[in-house]
Amino acid sequence: MVTLLATVLIHIARAALLVFGVTVLVFILVRAIPGDAVDVLAIEGGLTDSQAEAMRAGLGLTASWLDQFTAWCLSALRGELGESLRFHVPVADLLLQAIPVTLALGAASLATGFVLAVAIALIATLRPRSIVASLVDILNIWSIAIPTFCAGLVAILVFSLWLGWLPVLGNFLVPVIILGLDAAGQIVKPLHEEMKELGTAVYIRTARAKGLHPLKIVIGHILPAAAPVLLAMTGLVAASFIGGALTMEVLFGLPGVGSLAFNAVNGRDYPLIQAVVLFLAVAVILINALTDLAQRLVDPRPER
Amino acid sequence: MAALLDVRDLGIAFPAPNGMLRVVDRVSWRLDAGQTLGIVGESGSGKSLTGLALLRLLPAAARLDPASRIRYRDTDLLDLSEADMRSRRGSGLAMIFQEPMASLHPLLTVGRQVVESIRRHTDCSALEARRKAAALFDEAGLPDPGRIGRRYPHELSGGQQQRVMIAMALAGNPDILIADEPTTALDTTVQAQILDLLRSLQAMRGLAMVFISHDLAVVTSMAHEVMVLRSGRVVESGSTGVVLSAPESTYTQGLVAARRRLSVRAPAATPSRSVGPECALELRDLCVDYPGRGPFARPVRAVDRASLTLSAGRALGLVGESGSGKSTIGKAIVGLARPTSGDLTLFGRPLAGDGWRLSRALRRRCQIVLQNPYGALNPRLTIEQALIEPFVTLGLKPPNGRQSRIVAGLEEVGLDAGFLDRYPHQLSGGQRQRVCIARALMSEPGLLICDEIVSALDASIQFQVLDLLNRMRTARGLALLFIGHDLEVIRYIADDIAVMHRGTIVEHAPADNVLDTPQHPHSRALIDAMPRLDVTAPSEAEDGWRAQHRSA
Repeated sequence: MVTLLATVLIHIARAALLVFGVTVLVFILVRAIPGDAVDVLAIEGGLTDSQAEAMRAGLGLTASWLDQFTAWCLSALRGELGESLRFHVPVADLLLQAIPVTLALGAASLATGFVLAVAIALIATLRPRSIVASLVDILNIWSIAIPTFCAGLVAILVFSLWLGWLPVLGNFLVPVIILGLDAAGQIVKPLHEEMKELGTAVYIRTARAKGLHPLKIVIGHILPAAAPVLLAMTGLVAASFIGGALTMEVLFGLPGVGSLAFNAVNGRDYPLIQAVVLFLAVAVILINALTDLAQRLVDPRPER
Repeated sequence: MAALLDVRDLGIAFPAPNGMLRVVDRVSWRLDAGQTLGIVGESGSGKSLTGLALLRLLPAAARLDPASRIRYRDTDLLDLSEADMRSRRGSGLAMIFQEPMASLHPLLTVGRQVVESIRRHTDCSALEARRKAAALFDEAGLPDPGRIGRRYPHELSGGQQQRVMIAMALAGNPDILIADEPTTALDTTVQAQILDLLRSLQAMRGLAMVFISHDLAVVTSMAHEVMVLRSGRVVESGSTGVVLSAPESTYTQGLVAARRRLSVRAPAATPSRSVGPECALELRDLCVDYPGRGPFARPVRAVDRASLTLSAGRALGLVGESGSGKSTIGKAIVGLARPTSGDLTLFGRPLAGDGWRLSRALRRRCQIVLQNPYGALNPRLTIEQALIEPFVTLGLKPPNGRQSRIVAGLEEVGLDAGFLDRYPHQLSGGQRQRVCIARALMSEPGLLICDEIVSALDASIQFQVLDLLNRMRTARGLALLFIGHDLEVIRYIADDIAVMHRGTIVEHAPADNVLDTPQHPHSRALIDAMPRLDVTAPSEAEDGWRAQHRSA
């Protein structure tokens, strides 16, 4: 019990350190990009140089980077992420509006990809010479070769502009299908390889010697044994969806975290960028921790 | 009376670069209800494939000879559809395998695995199946049968795992149990218990059994009839007593003789060279700890205050069950494990002061050969390169030319210059182990630690290796620390025996004393568990075959 607690504490400490590191890096990077939020506003609103300087001083952008960083960290620790430089509303409000959209998109895409990958891998293991088995490679190559935004552009072109079936913006279904296919392609190949390999394991021979039906062997014995690979791949894809659905959100006009980040970077909206990155870092670490936990639940053996 | 199982002209072949490679060739036998057929053969004899063929579980690449017939009761198993065959697996014929750990699903509880088997073959509720599973666990001699089903395979010992496998095999109430090397991976004492269990189950249930093993003594202690396979062909078959007492083929005669030779000591091996009573190895109260799991776990004591001495030209057998710490002692001597306390003296040089580090000169004089010859050779080095390596790593002058020490070293282990350009994968297990020994002998060590070096080898090759080591002992005054669990092998080679149990040395005495009048109860248990070849037992007597096994 003591060792378990220690392990958990070590994990939390490591995660906190990671979040801090990412925050520092982003803080420096966004300030290293030429131009700040005032420049953007100046172009949009035609401010004079002196007005812009006054505005900078008012927003605290003239202070040293170190002072700015300490100030931000202190307020972030109190749970205050500050106010957007451009929209003058609390960053937290913007984030809270965006997160459900991203979560819905990510969860729906991930679920689609997961189910598709598991189903195809199962059938391909059971019937190695069927058409479904060739889908494994087709999907995998698709996910490697076709970036999701390309598929998205073509989908908009074909279904919205030429056929006029779907509205161009705000549609949820098309990005879910495109991201789902992408996820399935990434998951299905390693999963299928693992299941093929496990099919020759000695304990699978035992299952056959018991007289079990092949379907039962694949679902009840091979799939559980392949669960570690399935979980690891799903965790990776999930982490990539938290931030990586950006292009899809922008393309289909979904007001999620991706769109928010995109706008924040364009407007050099420092507090917003930092808040978005903080969210992404915590989310990715959380997903990794959940994946680890799930791994331990499916595999009762002590770590080697 | 029609046989329960009648196998005719069984032939199995694998596709090879030049045509089909026949690995089992026209093998025929029959098995009556309640009887045991023993199939003996060395690795590659086709004995395991013969067993798998009965369940039609051959590897996908294997091809059955169309003339093969496997008649079970009144059906030919080879004519059945896959679905009909499936319903016979587990209910008509069930099988247990060599490595119980690998044969059980690692991520499912053992209870679930047995319940699944029960529900496959009998129509019953989940609750009823769990009750039946507990009854089977009880029958298989598992402790706490009501609750052990919740455990995972890795939480059980090797013997318990094999008992679970047996419970699982019995779940479908089979007529025939096929046991493929069921005790080879187990310790000798556990082996005896499992063999006893199989015998009593057979008597209680009237099971017929096909017992497959490379170990003649084990097979003959189990079987009414024996069939000896070699390169896929039957070289001899008949009732156990007849085959043992009057083997017809020279091959079987050799097997019996090989096994019998083991029950005597090797010809006295007193060092011919005039070596003084030089002490090659001395341990005094040596302790070795391994770190426990997790940051705050306590260290695990693998070796606890062990004391040993070994003089030049002598052979010390270190025996014990797996996990008793015998390999750890071997590792500690060559610096692969770090002792916690105590003294370790090699050729008069104490190591404790040097932080347990062996100087290069000591490393040259002190070599180790490990159990698994498959992992001990770099697959990308030729045999010649592997044999030159010790010269490089030990800072010795490498021999030039092929007519040198390298070839002489290969010839010493019964190989020749033709092996120099080969890679490890082109060699058999026995040949690889001999290369490992030749490599260890390249630096002309004074102490050789042999960690289970013959347990992966077939009986006939075991001898060549043991005799080679004995010759080295007499010729060079080589001291041997021979770690193993096979007492027959130890008896053959060792002058003294040290018995280990849970990290401590419980008995250390001349070999004959330990084997004939063991003092410690644990030594006695080890010796009683030893399978023996006893040709005087009558084969026709109903329980004669049971009497052959000393542990009742």
